[in-house]
Formats: sequence, structure tokens, C-alpha cells
Amino acid sequence: MSKTHRAANTLPDQQALSITDLSIQFGGLKAVEGLSFYVKEKEIFGLIGPNGAGKTTAFNCITQFYHPDRGEVLFRCKNGDVVDLVGHPVHEIIRLGLVRTFQNVEVIKELSLIDNVLIGAHTDFKATIFEQALRLPRARREEREMRAKAEQALDFLGIADLKDTLAGGQPYGVLKKVEIARTLMCNPKLIILDEPAAGLNDSETAELAETIRQVRDVYHCTILLVEHDMRLVMNICDRICAISFGQFLACGTPEEIQKDKLVQEAYLGEEEPE
Amino acid sequence: MSTFIQVVLRSLETGGVYALAALGIIIIFRTSNITHFAQGSMGMFNTYVVATLVAGLKLPLWMATVCGLCTAVLLGCLVDFFIIRRAKKVSPIAKQIITLGLIMVFVGLAPMFFGVDPLSLPRFIESGELNLGGAYLTYNGLFNILLGIILMVILFYVLQKTKMGIAIRTTASNEPVARLMGVPTKNVTLFAWALAACLGCLSGVMIAPTTSVTPNVMDSVQVNALIACVLGGFQTFYGPVLGAYIIAIGTNLLTLYVSSVWGGQLMYLLVLLFIVFRTQGLVGKKLIKKV
Amino acid sequence: MKKESNTVQPSATPVRSAPGVLKNPYIRYILFGVVICLLPLLANSGIMPSSFVVNLGSVLIYSIVALGLNLLLGYSGLISLGTAGFMGLGAYISGYLTDSVGTPFIVALLVAVIIAAFIGVLVGFVSLRVAGIYLAIATLCVSEILRKTFEELDQFTNGFSGLTASYPKLFGVSLSREMTFVLLAVVLVLVMMLTHNLVNGQMGRALHAMRGSEVAAQAMGIYLLKYRLIVFAIATAYAALGGALYMHFVKFSYPSIWTMMLSLNILAVVVIGGLRSIYGTVIGALIVFAVPDLLLKRIPVIGKIDGIAYIFTGVLIILVVMFYPNGVVGLCNDIKKLFTRGKKKGGASDV
Repeated sequence: MSKTHRAANTLPDQQALSITDLSIQFGGLKAVEGLSFYVKEKEIFGLIGPNGAGKTTAFNCITQFYHPDRGEVLFRCKNGDVVDLVGHPVHEIIRLGLVRTFQNVEVIKELSLIDNVLIGAHTDFKATIFEQALRLPRARREEREMRAKAEQALDFLGIADLKDTLAGGQPYGVLKKVEIARTLMCNPKLIILDEPAAGLNDSETAELAETIRQVRDVYHCTILLVEHDMRLVMNICDRICAISFGQFLACGTPEEIQKDKLVQEAYLGEEEPE
Repeated sequence: MSTFIQVVLRSLETGGVYALAALGIIIIFRTSNITHFAQGSMGMFNTYVVATLVAGLKLPLWMATVCGLCTAVLLGCLVDFFIIRRAKKVSPIAKQIITLGLIMVFVGLAPMFFGVDPLSLPRFIESGELNLGGAYLTYNGLFNILLGIILMVILFYVLQKTKMGIAIRTTASNEPVARLMGVPTKNVTLFAWALAACLGCLSGVMIAPTTSVTPNVMDSVQVNALIACVLGGFQTFYGPVLGAYIIAIGTNLLTLYVSSVWGGQLMYLLVLLFIVFRTQGLVGKKLIKKV
Repeated sequence: MKKESNTVQPSATPVRSAPGVLKNPYIRYILFGVVICLLPLLANSGIMPSSFVVNLGSVLIYSIVALGLNLLLGYSGLISLGTAGFMGLGAYISGYLTDSVGTPFIVALLVAVIIAAFIGVLVGFVSLRVAGIYLAIATLCVSEILRKTFEELDQFTNGFSGLTASYPKLFGVSLSREMTFVLLAVVLVLVMMLTHNLVNGQMGRALHAMRGSEVAAQAMGIYLLKYRLIVFAIATAYAALGGALYMHFVKFSYPSIWTMMLSLNILAVVVIGGLRSIYGTVIGALIVFAVPDLLLKRIPVIGKIDGIAYIFTGVLIILVVMFYPNGVVGLCNDIKKLFTRGKKKGGASDV
């Protein structure tokens, strides 16, 4: 906790996120050990690794669902300050400008698509519960503004015409887009996508790659991709970090990673090289 | 000192009743993944069967109890067959709501079958007292304590050593896998429901002589057994039994030494506080949340 | 304005054929209230017995309480068996204050609601720690503590002999039974509007998100503790409000009223009427609290069975949970869809 208040946190200008010596263990099992990498501003960065490599754990340590035993997670917030995320409550991370999606899409089936997207704007509402209960002007205005913004986001992803249909029963591809639209609601600096290609077919994956690029270009944010699907990663990432058994293997451009001996070993050792 | 012993002995008796009911709840929970709120209500219904047989047909109590156990088995099986088995896909909360609905059904059925007048039930052993260092315990009380303990010992033996017990424990630990491994999980849950109903019936027959048989006869047993499960934790079979005895002894001691009026409420408050700080209950490990 | 009203009711199927004014949900709530206020006329004109008003009044009261439980169970997915205890708390506080202390009705009502909301906040803390299966038992535990307190604290509650109260006095005017009924209808409509606003705004979406996945909700910036406390406070406040109104409409309160069976009945209202539906809750209250008394008991043979009300409600709960999780409202919507299917298809192709 004390670290977060230290003003000494600095990041080189072009970096958006820097992880240093991140370690966490569960009852003796070292899930992530001494992991360090950094993500540059406005780049699409991939975090890859075979099954059980600790990708998801690393990513949960960044978003503070797990509290790492050791290490620093420096992040450049919306307002330009650099903070160490370690020790922040989970629900405050999004306020700083870091937002995530979920591997098995977490949308609310009983809500319409636009309401699902509006959940992403939760932290931007300033009206109190009383104002909401009585629908006082500020609550009404915020609701109207956010709704317009959510429509824009849905429009950007090309599903604006579905906005009032319920999320339950929509195809997987649409739900993935809803999740991405939801992340856009909070004006993020960094979006972490957790296996976005899981459950999508080839053409949907290709479309997703295009969407991710557009999100980066239009919304000017950095994207960290935690992914299994090699084609997607190699296709869109500017740089990639590979890990295995919780430890750093290599970091570099897609070509460098493909040629890297350690990475090849790690993947060939697996039964499914995908 | 003698009052202390007296209170502890009496607590052992009520604790045994709670423990039997709680065991029923935990067996259902472990095999069907349902919090069985209607355990007491089903017990109440079967207690009515026993009381009606005793009062109407003048059957001796033990024979009426055997008949009551038979209807309990039947009832347990019916509930499992017609309701629980068909509700596999609904969420855990919805399953809880189903058993809450069952409470209403049984509370409604009891006056329909057995009338609105309260019935009375005799004790197994009508008279006689045991003197233990100034503390008195009726022979019936002793019988109840022993019956409870013997039943629990048998049950734990069955759970640990017999084939059925292993089947129950496998189902409890992972139902889909158990089914794939060839454990007849359907029979296991059927057996569990029948067993739970029997335990409920027995606890009803044990508690009924202290009051009269009405639709409310099991209210306190129902609540205390559920709270015992929470206190003992839902992860083991012996946790709730421990919880049941602790609640019975704790309530009586608090009533005796702290406040004769507020003892019961105080005990509940303590249990609430306890589970707030130790959510998994007395026995059991905390599960790590997976993201 | 047109757009506003359209977006305000995303979950309910908008009534397309209704004229413009009816599209506004608030006007619909008010109309609904007016219709309810006219119902006592049925009793006065002799179509229904005069006990009809009392029955219907209780339905309104239980609707208010059930709306609170619907916030918990329907929107947040949190089960509570403590409803009856909190209702009783409201009843006893307002009854004691108006009767023994002599405070005005409105003040007593407010005090009852605030005290209950405070206890609700405490339960909210507990709920954050003990989720799922434990919560139902923990709330049952709270309710039992409250019920025993009603029995024992007889200088306030008059113990087993019960507390009596009179019809409320508003601004110096003592209300008659019919006027109290109108008051109930007004309060119900206000509560419905309030609930409508809450569930269709930021808070409603936060509750939905929490029900869906606590982890996802936190990642979206939703502070679980805050919303757990708020939703429990609102639910218990509604329950206490209902209890206080009960005290001044039915005019008596015994510890034996506020038992688990009442909590179950209110749970049944929410489940049968329809989770996450405001009108459904009222319909559910009508089914659970009025149908047995007004209809079932008049049917020969079946009506003679003791306990028929419980059997009816219990069986309905089980059937609804197993076969129709959306409740009566879901059924209505499906029937409506059946009739308007052709129309909708035409509408969809236009888009």
C-alpha cells in the first residue's frame, strides 16, 4: 500500500505499463516467478505461453484479483500519473484507465446489449443513489449522455442495430463485441483482452483482429492480449512476450519470437502446439 | 455444579436431536448439492404419521415409529424422484427455493391429513430417573442420547466402510465424475433422500414428547439444524454434528449463566459473528476463488 | 421524450399498441394506482364481501415488501429469509411510537424505516462474507433473533398478547379504512416508481452485473460492498415500511405473525410473480395472498381442506422454479408474443 503513495514511480515516456519482478505462489507452487516486461504506448502487445504457463495468473496479478507476493506493476493512468497498481482494490483499477475482458464472456443475459455496454460506464456516473431514485436532472442527463456514448461504441463495432435486443441468445461473436464495446465506455488507456479468440471460428478471428486494430487506432489506447491462438497473436501484435512455467522466456517482435529456441522448445514440449 | 451437569445432560439430548436432523441436511447437500430447508418439515409430517398411529390405532410407539420410518423412506424417495431429479439444471439458489416450497407443501399437507388438533406422543421410556452426582436424567433422556450417538456411529461406519458409503462420498465430492466412473449416483441420491427423511422422522419422534405434535413441532429443530450446518461447515459430515452439540450446549449454558431471556438470541448472534469471520465453518478449508 | 420512455424500460416488452401517453411508465404506474383505489367500490356495491378490502390491502402491503425482496433475489441474486423479521420490526416500532409515545404517524413510519435500514446495512456486511447457501441461513438466523426479541421485549411489544394500533392519522385527520387503503395504494405506486428508477439506472445495472459475476462486476469498477449494503438497506427499508403500514391497517401484531412462513410467502410472491418484474411482484402478491382467501376457500371440497393456502403456494413455487423460471410475467409475455408474432416479424424486417 505504501508504495502507491510514493511519488517516485516513473516510467520512460513511451511505456504504458511496466512489470518488474512479478512473483506469486499458491501454497508452494510458483505460478509466476520473477516476471518482467513492459508495454509501449499505443502498441498491441501479446502475452503468450503454453497451457498452464501462468498467463492468466500474471494477468490477474496486474488487475489485482491476486495480490502478488513480490514485484511492481507500474501503470500510466488516464491523468498521466504513474502508479504502482499493487495494493489497489480491484474495483478501482478501471478508474485508472485499465480495463479487461473475460475469457468466457461475462455479459448479463437478461439485459439488452446497450445496457450491458453501459455497465462499463459505471465509474463515470456521478449521480448519487437518491438522485437516481428520484430521477433528478443530473441523473437523467448522465443517463442520456452515457447512452449516446454506448450507442456510438456499438455503432463503432457494427452492432448498433441490435442494441435493444437481449444479450441472452446472441451469437458468441456478438457478445465478444459487446464486451469490447463495454471496455471502450471508460475511455481506457490500456485494454487487456483475455483470450479473445477462444470459441471463435477462423473468419470471426480474422474479423476480431481487424476490430482490435481499429480500437487501437480510433480510441488511441494500448492493448495487451493474453492469447492462445498463435495466428491471431502473430498477425496483429507489435511485440510479444512468451512465458512458460511462470517464467520469462523471450520478448520481441513476432518474427523474433517464432525463431526463438526457448519458445520453440516450450511449445514443442506441449502436446498441442496451438 | 449439579445444575451444570444437569444442563449439559439435557443439552446432549437436544443436541442429539439437532445433530440427527443436521446429518440429514448435510447428506442431502453433499449428494444433491441442495440446502435442504424442508428437513424439519418432512420430519414433522412423519412425526404426525407416528402420532396418529399411536393415538388412532393404539399401536405401541416403537411399531408406530417403524411405520413412520417407512413413510419417511417413501416420502424421501418421492421427493427425489418427482422433484429433485427433474431439477438438475436449475441454479443452486433455485434449488434452495424448491426446498423452501416443500416446507409450505408439508406444512399445508399435515393438517389436511391429520387434522388441526394437536396430538401428543408418549416417550419411549415413560418413567424413571437417573441420579448423576445430584443431576437428574430421565431414562428416556438417556435413551435419546444413546440412540442419537449409536445412530451416528452406525452412519459414520456406513459412510466410511461400506460400498454405499463410498458411493455417497464419491458423489459428494464430484457428482459428474462419480457418474462417469460408474457410481449409480441416481440410487445414491435416492438413498440419501430416504435416509435424510428417516433421520428427520427420528428427530421428530425424539423431540415431540417435550411438546405437542403440531405443524410447528419441528420449527426449532429445523432452524437449529440449519444453523448447526453453517457453524460446522458444509464440507464434512462430522462438522454439522459438532455444530449441533455446540449450539445445544451453548444455548443452554448462555440461558443459565448469562440471561434466561436472551440466551437463545445471544447464541445465534455468536454463530453469526463466527461465520462472518470464519466463513467455511468450524471444520473445513477455505476454497481459493478462481478467476 | 419519446426516446426516453423507450429506453427506460429495456427489460419489459414495450407495449407497442398503446397510445403515446401510456408509453410513459410513470403515467402507467399512476393509472395502475387509480384502478387499485377504485377497487373498494366493488366491496361497497356488494359485488365482493367487505373483507375484500382488508384482503386487498394486505396484498398491497405485501407487494411493497416483496418489491424489496425482488431487488435482492431478482436483481442481485441474493436470497433472504429475514423479510418477516424486518416487517415485524417496522410494525412494532411504528406501533409502539404512535401508541405509547404518541409520535405522529409519518414520524413513526420514518423512524421504523431508518432503524430497519440500519440493521439491513449490518446484514449487508454479513452477506459480503457469507455468500450463496450460507446467506439464506444467516438471514433466517437474523429473523429468528428478531422474532424471539418480539416475544421477550414485552415492555415494547406486549409479548404474546400482541400490540394493537389504530388507523393512521395524517395531518390531524384520522383516516377511515377505505382512506387507509388509498394511502396504501399511493405508497405502493410511489415505491414502484422509486424501484423502477433504481433498477433502470446505474444501480440496477450494477446489481445485474453483481448477480452475473462478482469478479466481472469488480473489474467494471463496481464496489461490491457499497451495493450489497445499499441493496440490503433498501430491501429491509421496504420490509419495515410494509410492516409499519400493516400495523396501521390490520391494527394488530403478534410475534407469531412474523415467522419463517411469512418470509416464505413473500419469497413465493417474488418467485411466482416473476423475478425482476415490478408488475409481476404485485401479481404474485395477488396470487399468494388473495387467491387462497378469495377464491380457493369458496370452491367446495377443496376449500374445506385446512392448509390449502400453503399447499397451493408451495406447489406453485416448485412448479414455477422447475418449469417456468420467469414466473407469471414470463407466461404473460410469452402469450403476448404468440399473438403478436406476425406483427413483430413485419416490424423486424423494416429495420
